[in-house]
Amino acid sequence: MSASPIARQATHSQSIPSRRVLITDPAQMPDVYSSTPGGTIYSTTPGGTRIVYERSFMLSLRQSPISQTPPQCALPAALLKNPSSVPNVQPASTQKPRSNSISFDESQETFSMDL
Amino acid sequence: MAGNTTEEVEGSTTTETKTNSNAEVPPEFLIKHPLQNQWSLWFYDNDRNKTWEENLIELTTFDTVEDFWRLYHHIKLPSELRQGHDYAVFKQGIRPMWEDDANKMGGRWLISLEKKQRFTDLDRFWLDVVLLLIGENFENSDEICGAVVNVRPKVDKIAIWTADAMKQHATIEIGKKLKEQLGIHGKIGFQVHRDTMVKHSSATKNLYTV
Repeated sequence: MSASPIARQATHSQSIPSRRVLITDPAQMPDVYSSTPGGTIYSTTPGGTRIVYERSFMLSLRQSPISQTPPQCALPAALLKNPSSVPNVQPASTQKPRSNSISFDESQETFSMDL
Repeated sequence: MAGNTTEEVEGSTTTETKTNSNAEVPPEFLIKHPLQNQWSLWFYDNDRNKTWEENLIELTTFDTVEDFWRLYHHIKLPSELRQGHDYAVFKQGIRPMWEDDANKMGGRWLISLEKKQRFTDLDRFWLDVVLLLIGENFENSDEICGAVVNVRPKVDKIAIWTADAMKQHATIEIGKKLKEQLGIHGKIGFQVHRDTMVKHSSATKNLYTV
């Protein structure tokens, strides 16, 4: 349950399909190194690759500081929960994380980290 | 080669965890989790001076779990909307209307809520439906087009729209999972958009029932 979402991408465990290809002549070998005889084997996972998240995992991300920041798009005022507290500017300083090593910049797609 | 890559990945994860423990922020909180699909949030206003189509507004799109929550935290819940309003969450590129090519052959699993359920079930059902969609929790998630919530004076409605009503197996899988995940005890029905178009939705026959 604590596995990273990358590890949870497969919905069900399935056996990895295997296939034997008999080579009788060097001409039957693929001409590129990235390929294997009979086709490339590492191209897909059984059942295809799909990013799947369980409800409980998504609910746990609800509390993430990134999830608390206001959306960047302009939304009609009538739809905002607390029109007064959600101006179109940066969030109040209370939103800033207390720790000094990580900054959540909503314009950043990736995150910065001290290594 | 594959073995080496795995080791490297594991190695870096360990370092990451060590670094993060200083900051007291769980590693899952430091990244945005990508979704399989990009989704659009739509809003239906019921301004009488506008046509139905003019009232339908694509508010924004999102493609990470965190971006979904950012929106969710800042917009009203369905129960807080004015009657006559809708939210819709559809795969990006599909408009929440029967006429869209992706919906033409499709239909919807319909959940009708009694008025008293607006304050007990409506918001909970809607959130769970959206999470089922964006988390790709259906085996046949390729058949999913989106979901709609209608806030109405008499009966609030939540529906999952699917692409091809003739795909019986896939459609029924979606209906069963929906019913099971929401904990609905009664029956829910699947209606073909083409039937809904010509009749009033209450008079439309169910193609499937689970």
